[in-house]
Amino acid sequence: MNFRLIFYLVAVVVIYLGLSMSLPLFVSLYYNDGSALAIVISMLVTCGLGGIVFFMTRGHHDYYLNHRSGMAIVTMGWIAAGLTATLPYLISGAIPNFTQAYFESMSGFTTTGASILKNIEALPPAMLLWRAQTQWLGGMGIIVLSIAILPFLGIGGMQLYKAETPSPVVDKLTPRISSTAKVLWKIYVIMTMTQIILLLFGGMSLYDSICHSFTTMPTGGFSTKNASVGHYQSIYIDFIIMMFMFLAGINFSLHYKLINGHPRQFFRDPELRVYFGITGIFILLVFLDVYGTIYPRLLDAFRYASFQVVSIITTTGFATADYEKWPDFSQLVLFFCMFLGSMAGSTGGGIKIMRLILLVKHCYQEIFHIIHPHATTIVKLGNNPVSQTIIRSIWGFFLLYVAIFIIGAIALAALGLDVISSLTAMATCLGNVGPGLGSVGPMDNFAGVPIAGQWILIFAMLLGRLEIYTIIVLLIPAFWRK
Amino acid sequence: MRVIIIGAGEVGYHIAQKLSDEKKDVVLIERDPGKVRRINENLDVQVFQGSGTSPKTLRLAGIQDAKLLVAATDIDEVNLLACLLARSLNQHTVKIARVRSQEYIQEKSLFSKDILGVDLIINTQSMMVNTILGLIDVPGASEVIDFLGGEIKLVSFLILNDSPLAGKKLSDFNMHKEELLIGAIVRGHKILIPSGNDIIHPLDLVYLVIKKSEITQTLKRLNMKAKVTKNIIIVGAGGTGMAVAKALDKPYLNVKIIDNDGRKCKDANLQLKHITVIKGDGADRDLLREENIGDMDMLIAVTGDEESNVLISLLAKELGTKRTITRVSKMSYMHIVSAIGLDTVINPRMSAVRAVLQYLRKGKIISVAPLREEQAEAIEAEALETSDIVNTPLSKVDFPPGVIVGAIVRGDEIIIPRGSTVVLPHDHLIIFAMQQVINKLEGLLTVKLEYF
Repeated sequence: MNFRLIFYLVAVVVIYLGLSMSLPLFVSLYYNDGSALAIVISMLVTCGLGGIVFFMTRGHHDYYLNHRSGMAIVTMGWIAAGLTATLPYLISGAIPNFTQAYFESMSGFTTTGASILKNIEALPPAMLLWRAQTQWLGGMGIIVLSIAILPFLGIGGMQLYKAETPSPVVDKLTPRISSTAKVLWKIYVIMTMTQIILLLFGGMSLYDSICHSFTTMPTGGFSTKNASVGHYQSIYIDFIIMMFMFLAGINFSLHYKLINGHPRQFFRDPELRVYFGITGIFILLVFLDVYGTIYPRLLDAFRYASFQVVSIITTTGFATADYEKWPDFSQLVLFFCMFLGSMAGSTGGGIKIMRLILLVKHCYQEIFHIIHPHATTIVKLGNNPVSQTIIRSIWGFFLLYVAIFIIGAIALAALGLDVISSLTAMATCLGNVGPGLGSVGPMDNFAGVPIAGQWILIFAMLLGRLEIYTIIVLLIPAFWRK
Repeated sequence: MRVIIIGAGEVGYHIAQKLSDEKKDVVLIERDPGKVRRINENLDVQVFQGSGTSPKTLRLAGIQDAKLLVAATDIDEVNLLACLLARSLNQHTVKIARVRSQEYIQEKSLFSKDILGVDLIINTQSMMVNTILGLIDVPGASEVIDFLGGEIKLVSFLILNDSPLAGKKLSDFNMHKEELLIGAIVRGHKILIPSGNDIIHPLDLVYLVIKKSEITQTLKRLNMKAKVTKNIIIVGAGGTGMAVAKALDKPYLNVKIIDNDGRKCKDANLQLKHITVIKGDGADRDLLREENIGDMDMLIAVTGDEESNVLISLLAKELGTKRTITRVSKMSYMHIVSAIGLDTVINPRMSAVRAVLQYLRKGKIISVAPLREEQAEAIEAEALETSDIVNTPLSKVDFPPGVIVGAIVRGDEIIIPRGSTVVLPHDHLIIFAMQQVINKLEGLLTVKLEYF
């Protein structure tokens, strides 16, 4: 592996992050919240360290990246990005503890949205914006952003793209990978802007609109308020945020097709239909459960049930209600939603609907084979056949996902968390959702989780965001052999 | 610029790689899912799995705004049908088709505007035959590339220890009256565009620009035995072998053709007059010695099996054959064959890539030849009246580094350019340029924007 090139590219990512701190710096100066100096120092440290590595490793003749280097760069880039983002928290004293700061920044980049902050509103506005910004950058992928800007990578860019946005089926929208990355970012930016404008119409302040849009589009879920979106008590704001969470859960290549005038391809997409269907069914189940028991008014029941289901299923993690007070049935439904996730190729986490569809189809195929032992069958998604290799890799993913969930939950329980908390904390972090149930519920936080537990959850978030394989292979000795 | 390539075999794959390196938007259509996966992993292009003869797939690949379509599958019928479909889907797409069957190629009207509208036919076999014949014409050369329709040749020679050029500075021998034009030097794995201060080392491969009429003279100066290639042995009586044999079927030549296949031998007997046909294994040492392989001027290994070709050539070298021409199709072998001592390697796929590139650069650039592993290109271009290079001394022209004007052809005359030389409109230039700066050079050769 070409370690020089790996460090070079990681340095590029770190420098970009350092530069991106100018946005919170601007906010800090505007509100005069006292964190400007801390941000300037963070910027200098980040750009300085990044710059040193950059100059030490520059001068490549060959930008060839193989599969393995791609995964190494992405993993190292993410770990480094997490470290970078802790600097403003630590230096400004907003989050003095390193583990907690790293938890917060990883929860940001992985778009999880779990927080260790007890009183969010006590933080300076610049820090809250920085939190939101980490989610916004992490949602579409910090590496993909770099590819969009670095023209020389060529096919190396493809390796990075695949490692960072792993999807069962590679979707290249344009002939060149750098233009694909640009197209995706463009859609992302446009949708974020639209949301900011729509939230402004709802009477939200510009600052809050930006922060909330920055965390909706990546399905992140950080809010600037302790009561999350519930703070605003506005049907309009609930509705806008819910719509955009749902849109962010749709495969971005479908958005691209819709924008390019192929609505048929958009609405005919089999995964999209299942996504609609599953979301609808879960909303209905929760609605029937809470209507009459918690919310006497039909509209209220529907409003809170739909927002919460969409928020969890897209792995955003905003809350408008304390669903821990809901009946057990609703809580269980929401718990399973944490595993589902939205569509492949979206900014959401979880197992993803595409994988579930293929697994179910494959199971059906196996059963069919018992009835007709000599039948030949193939698994199809829409009209496209899906190869056995993909199915195999999805089974592997599924098994790893469940195994990691079980091991993590047991480890958390061993550290002293109760059953509900350890199960949901693990599920919510692995699925990049945010809030869980029990002591880590929507109105609580993760500060009470022991330090060791926080590190387990940080690792889970990273595993979930990079969809397990990218990280796991780095732990296998064969990966490092020449 | 969107380019659609049908078929990701070696030819299609390589064209795609080349064009994608040049920042063109390349879309590939390939049937085989395994190949699709390989391309996704190795090339920065978009791939659609499907048939190139399906209008639906072609539309999906964006035929509507494609500037160029290259049909490069192994099957002629698929390529021709793809061109026909492309014609009906987008009138303006330039179509290049790879055609192997001689029968189709002879039907000239088939490719005309009225029927298929194919702009360029690539026939690797005839290209290869031409290359081989060119090499036979210039003894000692390991590569011969024609410019200006063959009037000027770019010839590469391996500099041996006893060559008069070895150890000399380029500027030294250019002092003499007869000048030598060295456009590029290949040293090991590197290619250099030399300046006057560069020294030629033994074992360098030098590319010379030579007028057709002066070949014999130049060869003499280089101490090459300008002996005519007379004794030739061809191994493999397949399509290429037979085509070469037919061209060499002259009473004054001593040509033998060897093939293992009895039926092919019989065919060869029927079609050839003066050539000895031998049935046997080309890799059989005893057979080769029996046929006096040591006294042969040239062995041409063109069996269908490239690994055998390489070994046969090595065997012949060991037994004393002066020159070998080896057909190797796999691109990945190209790097190593010269390292193991084979002087001339011909590659049908490379010829195909070359032809496509030549066509693409058309207009301002007349002809292009990639040199050695494609790190550099030799380009023939016409100096347009409006371009930046005319009417100024060459030293004042802002050439990117790694570019040298090898020769200027003005009417019948070849001019060896110096810093003070002024290029006139309609001169033909032969330019050597490193791969990285081709795009810049292209810009330099194009028409300046005029105000009107």
